Amino acid sequence: MTDVINDPQPFRNNAPLQLDRAVGWDYFTAPGEVYERDGAYYLTSIEAIRFAHQHPEVFSSAKAFDSLGSPVPLIPIAIDPPQQIRYRRILDPMFAPRVVTPLEPELRRQVREIIEAFAAKGECEVIRDLGSLYPTGVILTLFGMPLKDRDTFIEWSEAIIETSGKNAASDMSQAQMEAAMNLFGYLQGYITEKRANPGNDSLSAVLALSGDDAWTDEEVLGLCFLFVIAGLDTVTAAISYLMYHLAIRPDLQRAIKETPDLGAKVIEEVLRLELPAPLTPRVTLSDTEVCGVKIPAGAFTFLVLGAANREDRPIPDDIDVENADRGHLTFGGGVHRCMGSHLARRELKLMLEEFLALIPEFSLAPGTQPVCKWPGGTLHLESVNLVWNTGAAQ
Amino acid sequence: MKVVHNPDLCTGHGRCYALVPELFGDDEFGHGYVLGDGTLTAEQVAAAQRAVAACPERAITLVDD
Repeated sequence: MTDVINDPQPFRNNAPLQLDRAVGWDYFTAPGEVYERDGAYYLTSIEAIRFAHQHPEVFSSAKAFDSLGSPVPLIPIAIDPPQQIRYRRILDPMFAPRVVTPLEPELRRQVREIIEAFAAKGECEVIRDLGSLYPTGVILTLFGMPLKDRDTFIEWSEAIIETSGKNAASDMSQAQMEAAMNLFGYLQGYITEKRANPGNDSLSAVLALSGDDAWTDEEVLGLCFLFVIAGLDTVTAAISYLMYHLAIRPDLQRAIKETPDLGAKVIEEVLRLELPAPLTPRVTLSDTEVCGVKIPAGAFTFLVLGAANREDRPIPDDIDVENADRGHLTFGGGVHRCMGSHLARRELKLMLEEFLALIPEFSLAPGTQPVCKWPGGTLHLESVNLVWNTGAAQ
Repeated sequence: MKVVHNPDLCTGHGRCYALVPELFGDDEFGHGYVLGDGTLTAEQVAAAQRAVAACPERAITLVDD
């Protein structure tokens, strides 16, 4: 197999995603819907990506996520069916809308408190002041861990995420290894405690499974580690994109205030245009053919979801509220559909409602231009500086 | 005309019941299902078409009955 993790990937790494993602997705679409570069295969059309999503027995996830540098297998994202199906039957009910909905008052309270802390200042940096704090608090709440641990948790997870997607685990720096070990120690402590004294949270529910369904500590750690990698940085990224697009569109800010239902449509469109997880990895287990292109067994494959999200759209590269209800692939598809999608959408909705309630009008700080760091693991704006009139904030 | 939901294709994106709750419900896994037998009145066809377009898995179809 091509060692995509350690071999340089100039085609991928040179993608112009920093300033305008539309330019970046065009770059990936230009060579075709299925093609090979630097030993890796790229699938860019809806048809090609759907084929991979629907054939997990060919497009395996098991070897595809090694670059995230987790010391334990990431559950369930790096597991193939049928074992993956077993995990999802257990986990999906814990992240279903009927579980997320009762959490809403608490999640709303948390995001309101975060926004209140800077509303009177007339300025904020979205990642630092909001985007990194909120998703971490939500995961701690879901797992029944104390909110007071939030800042330490963020410190560790940022150090770990810094590694993901760039280096093999063997290249982790001393500081990153230490952060991973500290996080593991912290999680292990909770696993031990919750096995003895279960609470009314998702982590306790997993730990309470018995008999054939019982999870080992290593499996539970793999799940927790996935949440750090997939559940924090991605929502941070989505928050940064949403606030950036609204900051440059005062007309949308006004329209959402007049028609609150429009908020959900704008969120869907920003999710379609700006993908926190831009290239989903798979490894082929057998020779296959996608859209007429042969792919050998053992090939590292990237699903370029952002490219497919622009296909067959009247307004491919901009927010199009008229077509916001049409499906997109930002949360993936097939058996690995993002488990946190319901939670993520709810977090974004509550964040937007509370932000506009406290800060009705805002814009980018003069002279600032948010940019994405690329190559990297997740794709997100490095900083989004907002300003507003504090007279209007009262 | 009837709306049909294919549980083998559904992976629980939840767009059908979020956007068209009058025609779709959600189960404990967050997967969708059709409320009732799926028979559509003339007024419900547009809403059902919205769900068809919203499903990323193409798990929802309209069929003539």
